[in-house]
Amino acid sequence: MTNRYARFAGAVIVVSGMLALAPADAAAQSSSAARAKPAPRAWTPPKTPWGEPDLQGVYSNKTITPFERPAEFAGKAELTGEETAELERRVADRSADKRDAKGTDSDVSRAYNEFWWDRGTKVTTNRSSLIIDPADGRVPPLTPEAQRRAEEEWRQPIYRGGGANGRGADWTTDRSLFERCITRGLPGAMSPTAYNNNYRIVQSPGYVAIQIEMLGGARLIPTSGGAHVHGSLRQYMGDSRGHWEGSTLVVETTNFTNRTLYRGAAENLTLVERFTRVDPDTLEYQFTVTDPTTFVRPWTASVPYLRTDEQLFEYACHEGNYGMEGILSGARVEEAK
Amino acid sequence: MKVKSLAVVIAAGVAAAWFVVTPIQAHHAFAAEFDADQPITLRGAVTRVEWINPHTWIHITVKSADGKSTEWMIEGGTPNTLLRRGVDKNSLPAGTEIVVDGYRAKNGSNRANGRDITLPNGRKLFVGSSGTGAPTDGRDAGEK
Repeated sequence: MTNRYARFAGAVIVVSGMLALAPADAAAQSSSAARAKPAPRAWTPPKTPWGEPDLQGVYSNKTITPFERPAEFAGKAELTGEETAELERRVADRSADKRDAKGTDSDVSRAYNEFWWDRGTKVTTNRSSLIIDPADGRVPPLTPEAQRRAEEEWRQPIYRGGGANGRGADWTTDRSLFERCITRGLPGAMSPTAYNNNYRIVQSPGYVAIQIEMLGGARLIPTSGGAHVHGSLRQYMGDSRGHWEGSTLVVETTNFTNRTLYRGAAENLTLVERFTRVDPDTLEYQFTVTDPTTFVRPWTASVPYLRTDEQLFEYACHEGNYGMEGILSGARVEEAK
Repeated sequence: MKVKSLAVVIAAGVAAAWFVVTPIQAHHAFAAEFDADQPITLRGAVTRVEWINPHTWIHITVKSADGKSTEWMIEGGTPNTLLRRGVDKNSLPAGTEIVVDGYRAKNGSNRANGRDITLPNGRKLFVGSSGTGAPTDGRDAGEK
């Protein structure tokens, strides 16, 4: 056992002695999660020289496919060719850079013309939503407990939300961890955003590494399974344990912190990800979110990762984060008015 | 004070995710950094480009009618995306005259975002670079 973890990240090595104490409830919880199996297919993914399914390559997950099914497509899980063309036309219209009214916050929020963005122009599936379970393609309702938490969220010592939605600008801790160049957490870091939607997967015997362009960093996932680290060890990216089910890499992640929110879920989140190469150029990425303290039921999204010839570039986000200085100093000027 | 509605908190947890037919937002809160009440147009010569993440900063010298020079810093997009568009740190050599259309920083400094950057001959900066598929916005000569 010691040998298995010897190659793993330092923090994990430190606590490996506590593995025997790892809680089992997380695994039990995720077993109830819905798992939409990909349809049978003729194509057989290649294997690495050491015999594990080969997921390696550079992929992009940028897409204009809606995350949740829009009301206009209610009851319609798949779109026709005309409907996908219409979605793409709408995005192209946005890309034509029609300004919002000059002098409005919404115009300022768009920051630049579309040239500076790289958020995709095409649907990457004919589904009407990336969410595949529940059947309505929508995130399930919050539990009453989670709704109460949300109402008390402002009492948290730090802002736990994502994106660029700070709750004020008294200090950096009022801004999101994403804006502070720290982390997008999970599954945020695996989700498409405005640019840098590129991922490189490399493997060695017993490990899969996923390099993430947005905010940088890499996930190191052991594929030999094993118990999670002790529940007292909490990380922004949690503790990931993988195993192979046929050609699919299944990764369960627990041990998240209470300092990030994913749609209201934090430290009680159990994330199960399934990576399957479904054709030479497509890695199907499914993730199931299970947190009975937040959602009334587990739910699953499926995001195509498409092979790309792109290189990954470093994104040393903090080095020139003048924006943070501008936000805080701008707030001081506003206060003085 | 800092009380936020449920909707705001939940939305905040998912922002930066998908931008389909919803309003677009940046990685950083540009509306907190730049002032919607201070749209600004600047004409000046590039002195240097800070090719850094998360965003590029273009330094320009703006000369007023009385000959006085003022230094300005213009916030642009990430170098990563620009590289993929075929733009690198040599694309804007010192001395290049540009017109910046953006918003001034709320803190009153000589900073603005580069919402649109145009060359004096009317060519929009970067738009039309070969093979980029970059959008047009009607500002360039010949565009509709």
